[in-house]
This record gives sequence, structure tokens and C-alpha cells, in this order.
Amino acid sequence: MENILSLLIWIPILGAIVVAFLPRDKDNLIRYTSAAVTGLQFIIAIVLWRKFDPSDGSMQFMERYEWIPSLNISYILGVDGLSLPMVLLTGMLFFIGVFVSWNIKKAVKGYFSLYLLLDAGVVGVFLSLDFFLFYIFWEVMLLPMYFLIGMWGGPQREYAAIKFFLYTLFGSVLMLIGILGLYFTCGKTFDILLIMERAPEALNGVLWWGMSAAKVIWVLVFIGFAIKVPVFPFHTWLPLAHVEAPTAISVLLAGILLKLGVYGIIRVNYGIMPNEVYWFAGGLAFLGLVNVIWGGLCALAQTDLKKLVAYSSINHMGYSLLGMAAVVAAGAMNGGDLKAAQAGLSGAVFQMFNHGTISAMLFILVGVVYERAHHRDIDGFGGLASKMPVYTGITALAFFAGLGLPGFSGFVSEAMCFIGAFPVFRTIVILSTIGILLNAAYFLWAFQRVFFGKLNEKYKDMEEINGLELFTVIPLAVITLFFGIYPGPYLDLIKATMDQIIEKVAFVATYASL
Amino acid sequence: MDSINSYLFISSMLFCLGLFGVITRRNAIAVLMGVELILNAANINFVAFSKFNGMNIDGHIFSLMVIVLAAAEAAVALAIIINIYNNMNTINIDDAAELKR
Amino acid sequence: MTNLQSLEFFIPELILTITILAALITDLFVKKSKTNMIGWVLGVGLVVVGLSVHNLSSAPPTTLFLDMIVIDPFSSFMKIVIILSTLLVIVASWVNDELEKYRKGEYFTIMGIMVMGLFLMTSSVDIIMLYISIEVVSIMSFVLAAYLKLDTRSNEAGLKYVIYGAFSSGVMLFGLSIVYGLAGSTNYFAIQDTLSSLDGSANPALIMALLMIFAGFGYKISSVPFHFWTPDVYEGSPSTITAYLSVAPKAAGFAMIIRFFHQVFSDSIGLTSNSIGSTDLPWPEIIGVLAVVTMTMGNLVAIQQKSIKRMLAYSSIAHAGYMMLALPVLSMEAVESIMIYLFIYVFMNLGAFFIVIFVKNKTGGESFEDFEGLGWKMPIVGAFMTLFMLSLTGLPPTAGFVGKLYIFKTLVGAGSEFLWLVIAGGVNSVISLYYYFHVVKVMFLGGKRSDVITYPPSTMFGLMIFTAVPSLILGLYWNPLASWVKDSLVFYNQVM
Repeated sequence: MENILSLLIWIPILGAIVVAFLPRDKDNLIRYTSAAVTGLQFIIAIVLWRKFDPSDGSMQFMERYEWIPSLNISYILGVDGLSLPMVLLTGMLFFIGVFVSWNIKKAVKGYFSLYLLLDAGVVGVFLSLDFFLFYIFWEVMLLPMYFLIGMWGGPQREYAAIKFFLYTLFGSVLMLIGILGLYFTCGKTFDILLIMERAPEALNGVLWWGMSAAKVIWVLVFIGFAIKVPVFPFHTWLPLAHVEAPTAISVLLAGILLKLGVYGIIRVNYGIMPNEVYWFAGGLAFLGLVNVIWGGLCALAQTDLKKLVAYSSINHMGYSLLGMAAVVAAGAMNGGDLKAAQAGLSGAVFQMFNHGTISAMLFILVGVVYERAHHRDIDGFGGLASKMPVYTGITALAFFAGLGLPGFSGFVSEAMCFIGAFPVFRTIVILSTIGILLNAAYFLWAFQRVFFGKLNEKYKDMEEINGLELFTVIPLAVITLFFGIYPGPYLDLIKATMDQIIEKVAFVATYASL
Repeated sequence: MDSINSYLFISSMLFCLGLFGVITRRNAIAVLMGVELILNAANINFVAFSKFNGMNIDGHIFSLMVIVLAAAEAAVALAIIINIYNNMNTINIDDAAELKR
Repeated sequence: MTNLQSLEFFIPELILTITILAALITDLFVKKSKTNMIGWVLGVGLVVVGLSVHNLSSAPPTTLFLDMIVIDPFSSFMKIVIILSTLLVIVASWVNDELEKYRKGEYFTIMGIMVMGLFLMTSSVDIIMLYISIEVVSIMSFVLAAYLKLDTRSNEAGLKYVIYGAFSSGVMLFGLSIVYGLAGSTNYFAIQDTLSSLDGSANPALIMALLMIFAGFGYKISSVPFHFWTPDVYEGSPSTITAYLSVAPKAAGFAMIIRFFHQVFSDSIGLTSNSIGSTDLPWPEIIGVLAVVTMTMGNLVAIQQKSIKRMLAYSSIAHAGYMMLALPVLSMEAVESIMIYLFIYVFMNLGAFFIVIFVKNKTGGESFEDFEGLGWKMPIVGAFMTLFMLSLTGLPPTAGFVGKLYIFKTLVGAGSEFLWLVIAGGVNSVISLYYYFHVVKVMFLGGKRSDVITYPPSTMFGLMIFTAVPSLILGLYWNPLASWVKDSLVFYNQVM
């Protein structure tokens, strides 16, 4: 099991190749193969988790091979408390996603082949510790996404697909420039760990256009990730992509792909240029606030159920940004409040996991009703509760989790983000509680319109949610409930790594104030 | 004439005339003649520099080469123009405008 | 080195000459339907030439024929790039239906002569040789562009090409004559020596001469504002020739520019600290602006095209712009990045053109409508085209990304005054994504599942594989290429 991380990446790639060579009429064979591949990957992820040592905050299971020596590019993989939960989430959601896409009829072979390629790209981003490798996986995700949205999506799919592609590529080009800047200032290496070590000193005093190079690079890389999160004003691709994408792809988009942005900000911006975090934290908190309010307001205005869930993603990622900004509480000038920083950062990371499970659930449930009614107009339903009691129950659970009701995991993480950010960004935190109200408002209002009231005659024969669909939702619901009541295991898993990041941020502040 | 300046003056006149011809003429043959003027302007330069700067004979050689190449180029150009005339019955370069958006 | 001694190092060109003559003679004895055979003659000859170029690439850099041309690893690299692209185009010419109506004997022979000119372009260190080689290449390409005698579009392409070509080489010649007058010699190294000791009063003449010379160079690599011929010529010429014109002369053109500016005008250091710096003009900025305008213009106009061939013509202008981005720096690293980009560009661009040829053979057209649903009818061809489009956009893990990475790396490494070029280049690759993926959209997103799947015939399939594999593999592992390029980064440099 020495190369367990490589296995996680290469199994889906091999799977994609195998699927591409299966006969194109054997749809079921293709589906079972994909399920087996993602299942195997999920099992390996679980094994990884069991072997992982949570008390060690540094990289584990490192793999390192020479790749392109002339540019100092290596194949480096590693996993720590930040990436491990994401890898688990990826393994789970991609496994579940196969069953969500069981009903895809058009070009099944192409669909699952691209699906597995996407899988490899996502896991690769979480695991790679070499910027070149990281960038390759980052971009490898784009092509499958383009096709998955563009070929299997809704009516406006072509526009949605190219918009998604253009936005993300724009961000990643800026990111590439930032990466090259780091490459040159930190002694011509793409090794992320090495850059982390060298960057604070190497970037000190370097000027680009008369500005601090570190700040320029910080912003360039941040924009790259912010488009993925998405942070207001870079969010406009998201609702469109979500609405047009097939259900499984929406699930993955909200569940994992958005997390890549937050993961990248913490890994790269925080890990490599902690000094500049102080400079930008106010802006980050403010962007978080805008995301929370703007996402909430937009969600409130939607008539399309899927769009509502999409905007709720923007709203939810806002809390995560707020929690991330809280890390500056650890700085000496902010009172060196390590507890607040811890709460904030762990909250942000926890929030991103929780949003992954909750929004995945929401999208699956929207998909269920769309499958039956062939539309998602909130006002076009009504009284479904009487026809589909089980479905209503599960949706209620998902909606409550989404609006952050105590007892669900979303509540814990949102509270942690607020608690962490409160000492430093008092006004912003108070303002963003409005977001919680909006949050509750749009979910409850939508719930009421869809499930209560007079039964719409058109849907009096509506089928109840079936076994396969239940199978995809239940695990997510269980996780949400479990972590809502007992978040301990998760927080223990990430604690050591979070502490390390916070320590670094705190250290840099004292170093800079000297 | 014993000053290089007079030669340079003539060559730049020729160059400008050639440029003028290429830009204003619409008859393909006339355009080619403009190009020939430009080439010959350069030739005069080469020979003049070669003689007056007391330099090597490189300039003379260069101008001989240019004459040969200009002849080859003109031959190919005329062949293409004849072909155009056969197919389109015109040698006006503005009429040959099939390739536009 | 004297003329007789030089012959020993001129073997590749001698073999090439013999090959051309052999091709010319064979043509006399074959029937029209069998003229593909001349392609074989030329192809085999070129392989031998390639081997002998490879043989000589380890020879110490030296000048030949009394300082007329040089052989050094740099020119050997460029020669091999040229041979590779010529071989690919020869094979493609066998299966290009446009040429069916014509004898292909002269076609292949002329291509061989063009290779000769390209060889000399990459290695000339004397402005006489420079001009001769450019003219040889130009005259041959005029003929090739107008090769479809009965097709008025091809005639028109030839006419436009000949007018633009003759005009810009004339302007360049005038510039060269001024340089000769200032320096008193036609040899690069002698020119370098005198120019760097000129005083300020010569500046106006020098600036004018350089601008005129750049007109000639710019025309060869189709840089703005000397690009006007490109779209029309590319669209009207036979597709194989379009493919050829978009890679081989461009490679030789860049080799020529690099040798001229890097070796003569910049003391091998960089455009920022050099003798043309003494003309008080901000040369790096001027070339930088030209590069940015070239790629932006290429990309923006490419978006509006309806014909894929014409779109690729504009895209090749844009790619010239990407490569020009590295020219303002012009350090050894910049030259390295241009060489890597060129090598990769040969495969991805030829590949895209081969698919255009294949589709034209099948459907008789080359517009976007002819590609409608191609991904469903011919999934393999569609997949290859997607790969080429990805690579041309510069997305990892394809080779095009590596090319862009090297260019960007050079610019970021050269200092923050070049950062705006990187950002312009980055934004341009995003723009280019739009039209490259328009092709992908038409191929896959339009159309529907068809029950009959067509596979390309074996020759075409082989060509696609041969261009697609490097376009992908070089994006994942380009160590051999990188070290080859590094070894080839040796210029002949006269010790003064």
C-alpha cells in the first residue's frame, strides 16, 4: 500500500480508458464497470482514512518521483488533514453519482468515460503537491465538465458549458502566472512544500510594477480559486452551469468542484503566502458577507428549484469565506486569539465538507422530482406532501440541514465560522446573520410552495421516491445528522493540520512586526 | 557625379515611385513594375555603396543576385497572372476577390 | 572555411539537390496517375537528408563557403523540424483529393526546392544569402499556392501571395542595402562589429533600415501589420500547402529572425542591452506590442470565421504572436522556448489541417457546417480533432500547454517589465478557447447518434496518429525534447 495515493488517481483514469473501449451498446456493463471503479476508489479512500494518523499535521503517505528534471517538476503526492476529508467526500460522491446517473440514456459510454476522467482530475488536485501536477489536474477537470454539461445538459447547455469553460480557464491562466511567479522567486521549483518553506523569505521585498510581488501573486492565484468557489463577482457562471447540468453533474459540481476553490485558497494562499492573508483578510470577510447576502437574496427570487439550490451554494460558501478570514485573529496585532482562529478555520473547512453533503443531497432530491415532472418550477407543484410522504420527509430533512438548523452539521460549521470571525470582524459578522434569515426564508418558502397547499391535479399520480434514489440520499442524510450531533471525529481529523496553518499565520505576524 | 548622395537621392526617388506604384495601381502588371522599381532602387544603393565607400565588391555581387532573383520572381508572377487571365478574363487585382468573408 | 573544405559539411544540401534532380527526372517517366511516386522519391531523399543532418549536428559550429552560411546545432534542429513537417505534408498530399486532377511531379519537386531554401534560411549569416534563401522559398511558395491551375480561388491566392511577397521582400532588400551601406559588409559578424561602433548620427538610417527589414521578416512569419496575405492565401491554396506554409516557412522565419536579431543586433544577451538599443527606440516594447497586436488580431478575427480552414489561418497568425512574445526578451531561454513551441506547433497545427483535408475529401467543404455531428459519425476523427483543438488552445495535459508554459516562463523569469505580455498572452488563450471549442461544439454537441461509424482510411489514420501522439505525449513527458533543444542551443559565434 505504498502508492495508495497514486492508486486513488490512477484507478479512475484506467477505468475511463477501459470504459472507452467497452462495446458501445452494452450500457449496463458500462454502468456496472463505472460503479465498480468508483466503489473501489471509495474503499481505498476509506482504507487511507483508517491508516491516517490524525495527530500528525504534516503530509502523510508522500510519494515523490522525478518527472521533468530540467524544470524541476516532480510527481509529488501527499495527504494531510485538509485534503483527506475532501478525498473521502470525493470518493463517496463519485460513487453515489454513478447511481444518480443510472438513467442517462444518451451515449452512456462517453458519459461514464468522461465521468471517471473528471473523478481522476478532482482527486488529483486534492492530492498533488507539485504545482505543475496540480495545474494539470486542475485543467483536466475542465474538458470532461465541458462535455458533461454540453452534451447531457438542459436546453441552454451549450452556452452554459462554454461559459463555465471560459470563466474557469480565465481564472486558471491568472493562477498559472502566479505559479510561475512563485517558481522564479522561490528558486525554480514547482514543489509546493519547498515553496511553502521558502516563499515568505524569498518574496520579501520583491517588487512587480512597484507593488509587492507577493501581493500581486496572492491576488492572481486568489482570482483563479475565487472563480471556482465562486466568490462574488465571479459567480455568474455557476447558476447557469448548475441548472443546465444533468443531476449527477450538479451534485458533483456543488459537492466537490466548488470545494476545490476553498481548498486551493487554504493550501496555496494561506500555506505559501500567509503574510498577505493579513492584508486581504478584511476583503475576504467582506466578500464572504456579499456572498452570503447576495446568494440569499438571489435564492429568494428564484422560481426554479435547481437555481434556488445553486444560489444557496453561493450563500453557503460565503460562510466558509468568513471563517477563513477569521484566521487573522491569531496574529499578534489582533490579540493573538488562537482559539478564534481555530474555530474560524476549522469551521470553514467543516462548512465546505458539510455543504458538500447537503447540497449534494439537495441536488439529488431536485433531480428526483424533475425526473417525474420534467420541470422544476417551484410554483408549478403544490401539495406533493400528500402524494410522496417519504420524499417530503427527506426533502424536509435536507432543507433543514441547508438552512442550518441545530442538530444538523451545517449549524455546527456555520456557528464555528461566526464565532471565529466575531472578534476581528464584528460588524461583518453581525451583518451576515441577515444571511441566515434569508437562508431560512428561501428554503422554508420554497418548501411550503412545493409540498403544502392544494395538490396540483397534474401530479396526483406522482410516483414515490424509489429505492435507488433513496440509496443515494440516505448515506448523505446520515452523515449530516451524525456530524450535527457529534462533530468530534471530523474536527479531530483536521485539528493537527489546522493548528499548523494557524501557527504559521501567527508566526508570520510576529515575524513581520519585529 | 562624384558624390554618393546623388546616387542615394536617385535610389530613394525610385523606391518612393515604386511604393507609389504598388499602392495605387490596380493592374497586376503595373503593380509588378512597381516592385521592380523598388528592387532596382536597392540595386542602385548596393552598387553605389560598394563603389563610393571604397569597400569590397559584395555590393556588386548582391545586385547581380537580385537581378537574377527578380527575373525569376517576375516569371512566376507573370505565369500566375496569365493563369488568372485565362480563368477570370481580368488582371485587375481588385476583381480577384473571391476569398473574402 | 574555403569552398572546397565546406563541401564536407554541406552534404545534406548536396543530397537534397540530388534528390530534387532525381524527382524532376522521374517525373518525365511516369504516368499522371502514378505521380505519387515522386513523393516517394522526395520522401526517401529527405529521410536520408535528415540522417545526414543528424550526423552533422555534433560537428563543431563553423562557417561555410567563406562565411556565407553556418552549421551549428541550432540550424540542425530547425532543419530537422522542417524535414519532419515536409515528410508529413508529402504523405498528406498523397491522399488530398484536391490534387487528384493534376500531375503531382512538379508539386513534389517544388516542395523539395523549397526545403533547400528553408535550409539556407535557417543557416545564413550573410545578408546576400539571407535574401537569396528568402526569395527561393517565396518563389516556390507562390507556385505551390497557385498550384490548382483550374481553381480560381487558388489562382487568386497565388496572385495575392506574389504581390505581397514581392513587395515586402523588395522593401526588405532596400533596408538591407542601407545596412550594407552603414556597415560596409554583408556578413552578420562584420555588421555587428561596425554597427556597435557607429555614432548617433547614423541612427535615423539604422532605424529606417531595421523597420524595412522587419517588414520582410514580419511577412514571413505573418505578423501584424504584414499579415494581410495570410488568410486569403491560406484559404485559397491547396490544403496541404496551407498546412505546409503555416509551419515550415514559419519555423525557418523564426530561425532567421532569431539569428539576425539575437546574433547580430543584440550581442547574444537580449534586446534590452544591445546595440540596437543605441538607436534610442524601445525595441522590446515595440516588438512586444507587435506580438500582442498580432495574437489579439488573429484571435478576434478567427472568432468570426465560417470556414475552419480560414479560422486556422487566423489562428496561425495568433500562434506567430505567441512565439513573438518571447522575442522582446531574446535571451537563450527565450530562444529555447520558441524552439520548443515551434516543434510542438508543427504537430498540432499539421494535425488540425490533416483533419480539415480529410473532412473535405469526405464532404467537399471545409466550413463549420461540414463538421456538424462529426464526433458522432466518426468518433475517432472527432476525438483527434478535439485533442488538436485542446493543444492549440494550450490546455494541459496536451503539448500546446508545454509550449505556452515555456513562453510564459521566459517572460515571467525575465522580470516584471514583461509581465504585461504574459497577461496579454493568457487572456488571448482564453479568447482562442472560444473559437477552437466552437469546432468541438459543432462536432459533438450538435448532431446525434448515428448507427454507421466511419473510420478514416489507413494513410490518413496514420497521419492523424503520427501528429496526435506527440501532441499528447509531449504534454506529459517532454524531457527528451527539452534536452534536445538544450543541446541545440549552440550558435556559431565568431570570436572577434
